[in-house]
Amino acid sequence: MLAEFGYGVLVVSFLVTVYSGVAAFFGVRKNSASLIESARRAQLLTFPLITVSSFVLIYLLVNNHFEVSFAYEVTSRSMPTYLKITAWWGGQAGSLLFWSWLLAAFTSLVTLRKWDRDIEFLPWVIVVSAITLAFFLFMIIFHENPFTRYWLVAGNVVESMFKPTVEATIFTPENGRGLNPLLRHPGMIIHPPMLYLGFVSYVIPYSFAIAALITGRTDDRWTRITRRWSLWAWLFLSFGLVLGGRWAYDVLGWGGYWGWDPVEIAAFMPWLTGTAFLHSVMIQEKRGMLKQWNMVLIILTYALVIFGTFLTRSGVLSSVHSFANSPIGPFFMGFVTLTLVVSVYLLIRRWNDLRSETEMKSMLSREALFLLNNLLFIGILVVCFWGVIYPLISELATGFKVTVGPPYYERATGPLFAGLLFLMAVAPFSAWGHSTLQTLGKAIWKSTLASFVLTIILFFTYTQNLYAIIGFFLVALAIFSTLHEFWRGTIARQKTQNENFFTALSNLMMRNRRRYGGYIIHISMALMAIGILGIELFQKETQGTVAAGEALNVGNYTVEYRELASWDVPSDDVNYTRAVLDIYENGIYLGQLYPRIDYFYDAEQTMTIPGQRSTFRDDLYILLVDWQPASNTGATFKIYVNPLVNWLWIGSLLFLLGIIFAAWPDKELEPVKVKPSAQQTSAAD
Amino acid sequence: MSEIVERKSVPLWIQIIVWVLLAGLLVLVGSTLSKRQQGSIRPGDTIPDFSLTLFSGYEFEGKSEVRLSDFAGKIVVLNFWASWCKPCEQEAAELEEAWKFYNGDVMFLGADYVDTEPEARTYLKKFQITYPNGPDLRTQLSQMFRIRGVPETYFIDQQGVLYYVKVGPFLSLDEIKSIIEQKLQ
Repeated sequence: MLAEFGYGVLVVSFLVTVYSGVAAFFGVRKNSASLIESARRAQLLTFPLITVSSFVLIYLLVNNHFEVSFAYEVTSRSMPTYLKITAWWGGQAGSLLFWSWLLAAFTSLVTLRKWDRDIEFLPWVIVVSAITLAFFLFMIIFHENPFTRYWLVAGNVVESMFKPTVEATIFTPENGRGLNPLLRHPGMIIHPPMLYLGFVSYVIPYSFAIAALITGRTDDRWTRITRRWSLWAWLFLSFGLVLGGRWAYDVLGWGGYWGWDPVEIAAFMPWLTGTAFLHSVMIQEKRGMLKQWNMVLIILTYALVIFGTFLTRSGVLSSVHSFANSPIGPFFMGFVTLTLVVSVYLLIRRWNDLRSETEMKSMLSREALFLLNNLLFIGILVVCFWGVIYPLISELATGFKVTVGPPYYERATGPLFAGLLFLMAVAPFSAWGHSTLQTLGKAIWKSTLASFVLTIILFFTYTQNLYAIIGFFLVALAIFSTLHEFWRGTIARQKTQNENFFTALSNLMMRNRRRYGGYIIHISMALMAIGILGIELFQKETQGTVAAGEALNVGNYTVEYRELASWDVPSDDVNYTRAVLDIYENGIYLGQLYPRIDYFYDAEQTMTIPGQRSTFRDDLYILLVDWQPASNTGATFKIYVNPLVNWLWIGSLLFLLGIIFAAWPDKELEPVKVKPSAQQTSAAD
Repeated sequence: MSEIVERKSVPLWIQIIVWVLLAGLLVLVGSTLSKRQQGSIRPGDTIPDFSLTLFSGYEFEGKSEVRLSDFAGKIVVLNFWASWCKPCEQEAAELEEAWKFYNGDVMFLGADYVDTEPEARTYLKKFQITYPNGPDLRTQLSQMFRIRGVPETYFIDQQGVLYYVKVGPFLSLDEIKSIIEQKLQ
């Protein structure tokens, strides 16, 4: 009964969504304000409707309604309630519903804003978001219905939404299969919703961009309205990516954080164009340039969101993340085609209205450096896109799939990332309009000198690896010059405003949130680069089978195997196998680590929990690979030493703080007249 | 860097290139999609001929590569496994027992899915497996069968038609036997 109700509400919300899109379209055509208003109200109705339907699904999940196939697939009796709730996005059907729910929430939020100045955008924003939402609801209702149930028909179990025959009875399995144990991790509980939030938020800037193209109002109004949306979208997407990395590091058991897996890349690609967009949109606001380019970037970002989702959910690309063979592929394909064709058509039609108001005058001006930054991001995108699409081409051309591995991505993107680090150090010192080598050099020589000194110290004390030396130099340069920029701004303000250093610093930052938030993000990126350099260039690993009392050596560490125990915990439906290891560094006893293997009976799957010891210098990361069940005498371990990897996580945290700082809604402040002593400064905001 | 300011629309040749590239991309993805859609193998399907390269020491009658067509007239049991797969261990011994029981009348093949050879060998030795085993190179077989995970076992009858798919480990030797007996005259 409840399942039918949830499904019914979903059907109603689909009809309402279709109505709102159609009404908005004809409202514009017939110039009828009342029709557009009706469309807006219909649109606002979708959110509560989908919320009700989602609540029904969550109720079914939490209360062990295994007759519902989705509940059977993603929950089991032994799962705690919070995991049963999060199972909502643990499978294809549920995650599509979750996605639709977010989309309805965001579009409702945006239609609630004051529209007086931008009323011509409203109907088109509704049309674009309604088409997107209707598409997702259509797929749920007709192909990936989370409310279908099991029925017993003449001794056979049949999956169907409605009673298939008159004498059919509901079939309720004893227990569900349970969520994939790999997903039962705190990082995994928030990683998908963060990514979805990021993906879905990009629908808003995209629909405004399309509205601008259709209406021909191609000034930078659409970018100003959606500025904060694109920042938040970027925040969620970044957060999702970082959490995914942390989860992989903790759970997947290969001592890595990023595997260049097609699904990871599919989420990374919109992040790249989104990051490029965040930078280039500033040029449009400051200089009236790159309007065409910004349009391209936002369309690309949205297209990559949809395209990436499609590739990974339709089974076109296989990966650890992939959803099972799914019937939604052709429909998704149709939607992707529609999106791309309409966007490209509109873009070509309006191309000339989007011309720049000014020309670029200096190759070292800030806009030129920003453009260079954009090109680097697009370069990384091209590398990623090629890596993802190449297996398809090779399969079509030669008959078998040739995939490219991490070495391809690392080699191809490494220099581009290095270039970005360098720009991070230099670009903040260049001025809008015009800069010369002299002014740039004058601003940056101190940081360069400090970085040189630091790099030389590192050369003699830490590493002689050329790539590492170059990498550390660029990291140091980016951090020092950004800190210098904070310092300069603060000192300048201190002088003009007569404030003490800390008041000056905090006022400076609070009044230029986007700019200084951006700098915090730059520093955090440099810190993350330290971690990445460490794990990529200096990771050490070893594997070996040892008997109790024997030891394995890796780097300065000695790992001695003490004992192993294996036991069942019936209440969790899990078998735990845990090894006890003594850890020594250069002969000094440090403590014990306990790598584990959990076997989940319901899902028939194992999960490897590493034993980890984490410091700023390195992580010791030990996996229990195998053991002799009969005698308990020997066990196999895989041991990694991951130098500097903690900086990756520290950088990630700072990164989140930076974006939140930049994106936090602020009150309108009166402009303060600061006359910087350094003549080449100019606000990025 | 500067954009030329002229009152002209996008040149036709650029428009054509853009549309051709877009169409090419869509055709590429669409054709891959349609292959994936029909690619899934169900009981009742005739299995196209495939080959499996074998680990040295696990060859079949001295051949380091076998084809499905080599075993026409026999039931073929194709088992996907991996050394890292714990549920696979539950059925490893039973599969070997079944292989010995039918003494060559039923062909058993092991395809090692995404694995490294040393670990795979340790696994094979640990369970004293003797039937032909080899790596699923380029994951071609697993893609062809569209396996969802390991272990999975495919039963192909004497005419080369798939008649049963087992997802997950076998619980007993009898279970394997009962599936084979269905088609064994």
